[in-house]
Amino acid sequence: MIRNYFKIAWRNIWKNKMFSAINIVSLAIGLSASFVIGLMIYHDFSFDNFHPNKDRIYRLVTDSDSPEGKYSFSGVNVPLKKTIKEGMPGIETATSFFTFTPYQLNVNGNEFKDPEGLILSDHQYFEIFDYNWLVGDRNVLKQANTVVLSLKKAKSYFPNLSLGEMMGKTITYDDSTQVNVSGIVADFEENSDLIFNEFVSLPTAVQTDMRETVTSEYWTSSNSNSQMFALLNEKSKMTDVLSRLDELAKKHENPEYVKDGYRTGYSLQPLEDLHFSDFGIFDYGNIAANKSVLIYLSAIALFLLALGCINFINLNTAQATQRAKEIGIRKTLGSSKLQLIYQFLGETFLLTFISGMVSVFLGYVFFKVFSDFLPPTFDYGLILEPDVIISLFLLLILVSLFSGIYPALILSRFKPVSVLKSRIFFNTDQSKFRKVLTFFQFGIAQIFIIATLLVGKQINFMMNKNMGFKSKEVAHFNFPSEDRSIDKLYLMKNELEKNPRIKAISLGSAPPASYKIYGSKLSFAQENGEVNVYFNQLFGDTNYLEFYDIPLLAGRQPLNDTIREYVINESLLAELGFKNPEDAINKQIKINDKPYPIVGVMRNFNQYSLKLEIKPMAFVPDYYIRNYSSFTTLSFVINPNNNLKETISQVEEQWDAIYPNSEFNVNFLDDTLASFYKNEKNTSKLLQWAAGLSILISILGLLGLVVYTTERKTKEIGIRKILGASILGLNIQLCKEFIKPILFAVVVAIPIAWYGLHQWLEDFAYKTEFNWWIFVMSAFLMILIALLVMCFKTIQAALRNPAQSLRTE
Amino acid sequence: MLLKLNHIYKWVKSGGRRVFLLNDLNLTIEKGEFISLMGPSGSGKSTLFNVIAMLDTFDEGDYFFENETIHDLNSKQKTKLFNENIGFIFQAYHLLDDLTVYENIETPLLYKKIKSSERKALVADMLDKFNIVGKKDLFPHQLSGGQQQLVGIARALIIKPKLILADEPTGNLNSTQSDEIMQLFKDLNTEGITIIQATHSESNAAYGSRLIKLLDGSVNNK
Repeated sequence: MIRNYFKIAWRNIWKNKMFSAINIVSLAIGLSASFVIGLMIYHDFSFDNFHPNKDRIYRLVTDSDSPEGKYSFSGVNVPLKKTIKEGMPGIETATSFFTFTPYQLNVNGNEFKDPEGLILSDHQYFEIFDYNWLVGDRNVLKQANTVVLSLKKAKSYFPNLSLGEMMGKTITYDDSTQVNVSGIVADFEENSDLIFNEFVSLPTAVQTDMRETVTSEYWTSSNSNSQMFALLNEKSKMTDVLSRLDELAKKHENPEYVKDGYRTGYSLQPLEDLHFSDFGIFDYGNIAANKSVLIYLSAIALFLLALGCINFINLNTAQATQRAKEIGIRKTLGSSKLQLIYQFLGETFLLTFISGMVSVFLGYVFFKVFSDFLPPTFDYGLILEPDVIISLFLLLILVSLFSGIYPALILSRFKPVSVLKSRIFFNTDQSKFRKVLTFFQFGIAQIFIIATLLVGKQINFMMNKNMGFKSKEVAHFNFPSEDRSIDKLYLMKNELEKNPRIKAISLGSAPPASYKIYGSKLSFAQENGEVNVYFNQLFGDTNYLEFYDIPLLAGRQPLNDTIREYVINESLLAELGFKNPEDAINKQIKINDKPYPIVGVMRNFNQYSLKLEIKPMAFVPDYYIRNYSSFTTLSFVINPNNNLKETISQVEEQWDAIYPNSEFNVNFLDDTLASFYKNEKNTSKLLQWAAGLSILISILGLLGLVVYTTERKTKEIGIRKILGASILGLNIQLCKEFIKPILFAVVVAIPIAWYGLHQWLEDFAYKTEFNWWIFVMSAFLMILIALLVMCFKTIQAALRNPAQSLRTE
Repeated sequence: MLLKLNHIYKWVKSGGRRVFLLNDLNLTIEKGEFISLMGPSGSGKSTLFNVIAMLDTFDEGDYFFENETIHDLNSKQKTKLFNENIGFIFQAYHLLDDLTVYENIETPLLYKKIKSSERKALVADMLDKFNIVGKKDLFPHQLSGGQQQLVGIARALIIKPKLILADEPTGNLNSTQSDEIMQLFKDLNTEGITIIQATHSESNAAYGSRLIKLLDGSVNNK
């Protein structure tokens, strides 16, 4: 019986090639999107769910509450860790570790640059996280100058040694700290965010450049490299531990910060949320997944899938009359209604299954297209895992049911008597239902189109907006963080100045807009008391303002590097309560209770992406020059007449001569500015695809309906033509039926899209306008596409010779 | 007695008035009869067929099929009774276009959930009986009208029905083919199957053992 169903199903699919193709393509698009996004969700939820006691493991995180808003921070301060390790009720074990990033390490004379996966760890780490010890045990971490390696790391350092032989070998960090290999653990086989593979004993830390961090006594300074995980007692409540943490936070808060509205608290992050930390997982390594992104993506996949199912429902109910005869005969041959339903569902399943096969490959295409968007650890090969295959199969069944059940019910309901006497009347309810579904499809497509246009417009707006400084033709590179020699810095600058191809050079802490922030706090005496203002500092040499075309509104720029003078921007001017720039000149601001003069006022410019407002800022010279230079970036402009590539390679040669051990990385400022909008560009790309695919599916469905309807109306068209109808008139007549739900969809989609995009734009300090033409254009675009598709078929039908179409009836 | 219709009325409402399709129709059919049903278009032949086949309901009257009182059964029971006892043959053959001759004949057995081996035997017998073994893998559109109707009859007979309802079975055939089919009916009748055929042709009607004339929805006894 089943075999028989599938045979007939296959013949039916084969006979109606066009309809089958439409169904398969539309379902395959929805399915492949679901596959990729489903796999991504599966992948993101597969992290760290294998640890024993995983439900009791928490990470301690810092919560900050400030006038600028609330945010959390993945590290906690060192004294808190010390207090907890001395014992806190409710916590069974706690581990303190520090992510450790030496510039280089040395094994057996081999040098490894920028090694990854190192932490300075106590032995409790291995009490909380269960590793398989191949050699040694966790107690070795109690001593200084020991290190435990993961098996893979150990093999990369000592490819030719047995595990036993590796013991006692020496690793040297940054040419100063030596440790001996004292243990080896197996790497986790499952997905984990604990990507550490080199565990240096915590007592070793004081011998490294981490000494200050590790011995910090300040409750107010936290560093994201200072991590703590705690294993809670089986019986203790999380809320009890939280209240104890609150007490600690209160006890050690700095009253002065509290006065300014800055508060610090601590909370517990469950291990299962680690992978979804919106403040990052660790300082390096796995990139956190974003739950809301997953939700948006799932919504897009579901919409695409729904659109595919709708095509199926629409085409199958529309085709019902063609199958009516078969149904009638089958009923007189003894088929029950249920058996017919099974048959139709079987056909649906076969079609869905074919789509599923197509989707496996199409999904790979999507996977490649969106590889920037997907987690780097995510591999499409995941689709071959047994769990996943079973879920995919269930998805196919679900989709078959969803798209097949309504047509199956409609078809099996036909009465054999009326069918065989060809007395079926078109049920207007069904054609209404089809119109509702078409309306839904085009509504979704319309929303995607509007969103694509507006997001594109916002990105365009941000990329082209004048930031308030010169960015064209400006290139910049950072000096190596491991070699901060002031002599080399100026040597580099002087050498480049000799190069005739380079037009201008300036040193600074960063370009005017960058990811870098040097925060500071000043106090200023106003008439009605003292105000405290938090502001950002921008360090630059005497060329800097001129180099970047940042005009002074009043006063002058700092005279030289050593005198600590401030040039404030208009935002800071306003914060200090001045109306005219001139009024601020020669006023004194206090920083750490020492007075410094304001010598100039510069025009406002954007310091980061246009998502953010312009913050109070001060331009300052390199006033710490006696200890170190705050200049970390060199910006330069190449003479426009010269070969860009050649000049850059000359700069690189110069770099290699001065910094032979460091990598040269040059960027153009315009590219750096564009990189602020990477997320928005990804969103835009995603929306373009979603819009394109949803239009494609909807149009395919429309095409199917139009083909079907015009074929059914061949006779009517013939008669109308004989009665004198014009081609245009016939076209209007035929299109009218379809264009109504589309027009209605456009009207309904616009306010929904407007609302959603309005919310999205709230995130941006600088917004593009909501022009009426976006809506008009998107509506016009969609109606145009729909009309083109319809006319393609209706014109063909209207042109047919009536004598022929009537004869064939 | 195979079936008995007592005072059957069936009507449709048109403009507030009842238009009678069957009007006080009385009919008794014995086992083994070969009835020819005649009457002008609109006299109610098709309606009567559908009522007998339990595909259509009636508004008043009693219908007995063997020992069952049809008017008391629900639709599921009626379908079951129909499936087990009645074979239907159509003027337009109504073969399933997508199925081969073999599969067309096999289909009713599938719905009766008969085992594969038994199905094969039954279908093979039937193909043999009608001399269409060589055509079993052809599709309906590859056959002549007469051959298609043969398949239609084979398909109706495969469930071993007690009653065959044939609605103008030769209406689409030429006279030679028509005579062959009629002879076949006669042979089947002698094997014991009750047949009711609706026909416009006097010569076809002559094959039957009894002639019933229908006029305005009731049996015309004059």
